[in-house]
Parts: sequence; C-alpha cells; structure tokens
Amino acid sequence: MRRWESAAIGALLGAFAVIHPAAAQVRGTIFGPGLRNYPIAIAPLAAREGSPADLATKFTDILGRDLTLSGQFRIVDREAHIEEAEPYTADAINFPNWSVIGALALVKGWYSLSGDTLSVEVRLFDVYQRRQIVGKRYNGGVGDLRRMAHRFADEIMAQLTGERGPFDSRIAFLSARGKGFKELYVMSLDGGDTKQLTNHRTINLSPAWSNDVRSLLYTSYRRRPALFSIDLTSSREKPIWQKAGVNVGGCYSPDGSMIALAVENDGNTDIVLLRPDGQLIRRLTDSYGQDLSPTWSPDGTQIAFTSDRSGRPQIYVVGVGGGEVQRVTSSGNENTSATWSPDGKRIAYVGRAGGTLNIFTTDPEGADVRQLTQSSGKNEEPSWSPDSRYIVFSSTRTGRQKLFVVDAATGASQVQLTVGDGDDSSPAWSRWLQ
Amino acid sequence: MRMRLLVAVAFVGLVAFNSVGCSTNKGAEDAYGGGLGEEGVGGGGSLDARRAGHGADSSGPLKDVTFDYDSSELREDGRLTLRENAAWLQSNTGATVEVEGHCDDRGTVEYNLALGAKRARVVKDYLVALGVADQRLTTISYGEELPLCYDQTESCWQRNRRAHFVVRGE
Repeated sequence: MRRWESAAIGALLGAFAVIHPAAAQVRGTIFGPGLRNYPIAIAPLAAREGSPADLATKFTDILGRDLTLSGQFRIVDREAHIEEAEPYTADAINFPNWSVIGALALVKGWYSLSGDTLSVEVRLFDVYQRRQIVGKRYNGGVGDLRRMAHRFADEIMAQLTGERGPFDSRIAFLSARGKGFKELYVMSLDGGDTKQLTNHRTINLSPAWSNDVRSLLYTSYRRRPALFSIDLTSSREKPIWQKAGVNVGGCYSPDGSMIALAVENDGNTDIVLLRPDGQLIRRLTDSYGQDLSPTWSPDGTQIAFTSDRSGRPQIYVVGVGGGEVQRVTSSGNENTSATWSPDGKRIAYVGRAGGTLNIFTTDPEGADVRQLTQSSGKNEEPSWSPDSRYIVFSSTRTGRQKLFVVDAATGASQVQLTVGDGDDSSPAWSRWLQ
Repeated sequence: MRMRLLVAVAFVGLVAFNSVGCSTNKGAEDAYGGGLGEEGVGGGGSLDARRAGHGADSSGPLKDVTFDYDSSELREDGRLTLRENAAWLQSNTGATVEVEGHCDDRGTVEYNLALGAKRARVVKDYLVALGVADQRLTTISYGEELPLCYDQTESCWQRNRRAHFVVRGE
C-alpha cells in the first residue's frame, strides 16, 4: 500500500470506539469447552454516498471466513436474515429480528468509497442485551479492505473471548506450485493477498519473519547455501551469512537485536548468535551432536533447539548467555523442530509417533505433553499464531504437502489452508501487522 | 515425476559448471571467524539454467556411496566404493570433487541438512585418509532437497541416502 495509505491506516485503524462503549461483562462470553459455535450474524454493510455496492459483501465475506476459521463461531446463514444492512445503530436495530434467527451477536455497519479513499465503520452488537459492544472506523485505500476485515475479526474475538484474534497477520511459506522449485510466498491466513516473493529457481529453505513483518530471513542455495534477508515490498535481498557449509533456521530474537542460526563446522552443526548484519557474536552450542533449529523464548532469554547429542534428536533449552543445557523432551526417540509460543507457555515440536511425524506441544519444562495430530501423513514444520491459539503446519495427509491450521490447545479444527498443485511447506506465522 | 528427475539431473550437472574456480582454503579456514563469508554470492542462482546431462548416480567416474537410515557411518560397501573412487582420483590428479550429502525424506528438512553434511564430511575424511589431497575436496549438503526418486519404499529411500560426487576440472 502507498505510504499515505499506510500512514492513514496506522493513524486511524481501530482508532476509536464509536458511541456507547461496551460494558465489561460482555467480554469473555465464549469461554470454556463446548462453546465453540457461538452464533453470530453478519449483515452486509450499507453503502454510503453512491459507493459501489460490491464492497458490501466483500468485507463481510472475509470477516465471516475468518470467524469460521477461528473454530469459535457459527455464521448465521445470510438467507435467514430478516433485517437488512440498515439500520445499524443500537437504538434503531430491531434486535428480535436477529434473536429469532438464533444470533447471539450481530455485526452491522457502513462503508464509503470515494475515489480511492475507503472508510468502513463496523459495529458489534449483543443481541440479547440489545446494545453495541464495540464499534470501529477504518480509513485507508480500497486495497486495505482485507486488512480492515481481518482487524475487525481480531477485535470481535477480543471482545467475545477476551483474546485478540490472529487474522491481521501474514504467513510466509515455500511453495513448488510454480515450476517445481520451492519459492517464497506470503499470504494471509485465508489465502488472500497471496504474493510470490522469489523466483530464484534454486533451493530455498526456512523462512522466518522480522518482528516488524517487513522482511524475512531465509536460506537460499546460490552457488552455496547462504542466509538472506528479503524485503517484502521491494523483494530486495541482502546476504547475512555466506560461510561455506550448512546454514539454516535463521531467526530473529524477540527484540530484533540478534539472529540465531545453525551453521556447519566441518560436518558438525552448531547454533551461533549473530548481529542482524551477520557479524558473529558467539557460538551458543558446542556438542559432538548436531544442534539445529533454534527458537527463541518470547522474553528473549532462552533458546530451545534440536540436538542429537544423546544419540537421537531431542529438544533442549539453553540460556542465551550460555550455560547449562536442559533437555525438554523425554518421550519418543525423534523430537525436532521446536517453536516457542508467543505467550511463552508452550513449545510446539515434531515427534515421530504412529509411524509418521506428528505435531506435539509441551510446556517448556517438558511436562503436559499433548499430541495434536494423528494423521497418517507427515505433519511437521509447526509455527504459532501471534495470539498463541493456533499452529500452522505442513501435512502430506491429502497426498500433496499442504498447509493446515490447528487449534493449539486441543488439536481440534484441523483446517486445510492451501490447495492446488505443488507442495507447500515451511510455514512461518508473523506477528500482527502494524 | 519425470520433470522433477530432469530437474534433479540438470541441477547435479550445473554444479559442475558453476563451481569452477570456487576453491576454499580449507587449511586456514576458521568457520566462525568474522561472520561474513569469503565468497561473493552472484546473481546466478538458477539450477535449471545450467544444463548438463550429468547422470544422477553413476554416469560420472565416481560412484555414489549409500548409507543406513539416520546414519553417517560408512558400511563396508561404502568403503569399497571409496577405495575405487580414491584410486581414480590418484590417477586423475587434475580433478577436484564436490562431495554432496543427501538423505531420504523421512526426517525434517533441517535435520536432514545436518545429516547430509555429516555424510559428506565422513566421505571426504575417508578419501583424505586414503591419500587424496584435502584441497581437492569440498562438501555440500542438500539434505532431502534433491531426491532421485519419490516412492515411499525402502529401495527408493536407500537410493536417496547417498553421498554423490561431482567431478570438475579433469
């Protein structure tokens, strides 16, 4: 988006609640198991001032798809709606029109498109209490419509579950959907805004987001494998680490001051810490085994990683300042690909179970292990959503390698995210967009 | 499937073209000194831009060495192959070799990169022990990224668990 648009969005996105701010007791309505099909009706937005009519349902379609993907909501069938887009204020809406079709919550609003300037005002209502919970106005360009819908989906989840939703974010991944090579792509969770970032026609591996969601680290084989940073907007790259040998799994610390990377030294792989420009800070691990796939704790003080120093690959944790290495996983004989949840409470990883690879989570001490997938395919490469509710991963259960998303607490709602030709792999879920 | 095999073949061939003159001073190399690499990375990243009908496993003068699952240990058949390969190298002293480490696809991508690197290193060390000059050998790992076949069968997996030799400058 153009600079003035992003400034407008930055300044005004989610800026102000419109009239009658929510009473607190509505928050956290959807707590607890079993309350995962909260019925919400989404009316098309009213078009103002001669704006084109097609945006009315575009916004609500994206919103509805996000809320459905969340696994928490059931969207009331549009065919059942009695009332139309208007009226959209709490004093004028006939709430019985909505409670009679089973809705507990209701979304209504308006939009205005003039030239390229888009304004969207949406409100969330509690149908039984007959009042507005929250209202937001978004201003930007017409190209910002999708982000506005994702922002409001996150807001609805914040209001009704107590935790912001993950939809205003991006997933980077590798896909061979083009011409057989795994190139770098970025999309939003619903598959919209899909953009191909690279066309190197070589081996590309392990994308990892910068904290500002403006660039990605990844390994690419030019003459030799090297770690690069690629800018999302310009696709311009700069090399970060180019020493001969394996280098893979580069990822930024939570404050962006360091990169952890697994590098090879004479056939043995260790984890090193670099400055963002690639200068070596120090080697973090030094064992006879292979140490790889680092992941940072969200407070930046620890790194979990894979090591086969005990003979088989397991997950370990070490302080960023060095020191004692603690083993995390104690069951199974092949545990790899750890990734730390943004809220710090869980580590997801890949374990060999049931004859294939499956996604597990554990607390950082190795207790409370949960197996999330039981599929006959290979399930691997987990990455956490910014709200720590979901994990995106790759799975070969349908025959091709595709991306799936799963509820991280229970393993429920495993939804396929990508379709079509080619293998999709190595997903990386960003923080929320700014 | 055939397309991918062609890609794999073309890729293996191209390494021969693109690595000429790319020597690494192994003796003085400190893997962690400085942090920035001693080789520039050109724009030429295209695997399929380099064409050569390099045979995937045995059409070059040096034969592949295969490994057991999740292992980088040389078997007796591997050591035998390496003695033959070393003999060839002793008779063709102008040749340099890139030793590639490959894996089957059953582990994770990153783990297989590390395993491939170990396999390449083990093979290189053995060739050096057999008298091949260290400076003639470089190593690279492709992990599970360049399989010879895709079947989920032991015979295919065994083919993929290999060290492969790309000869240059004969």
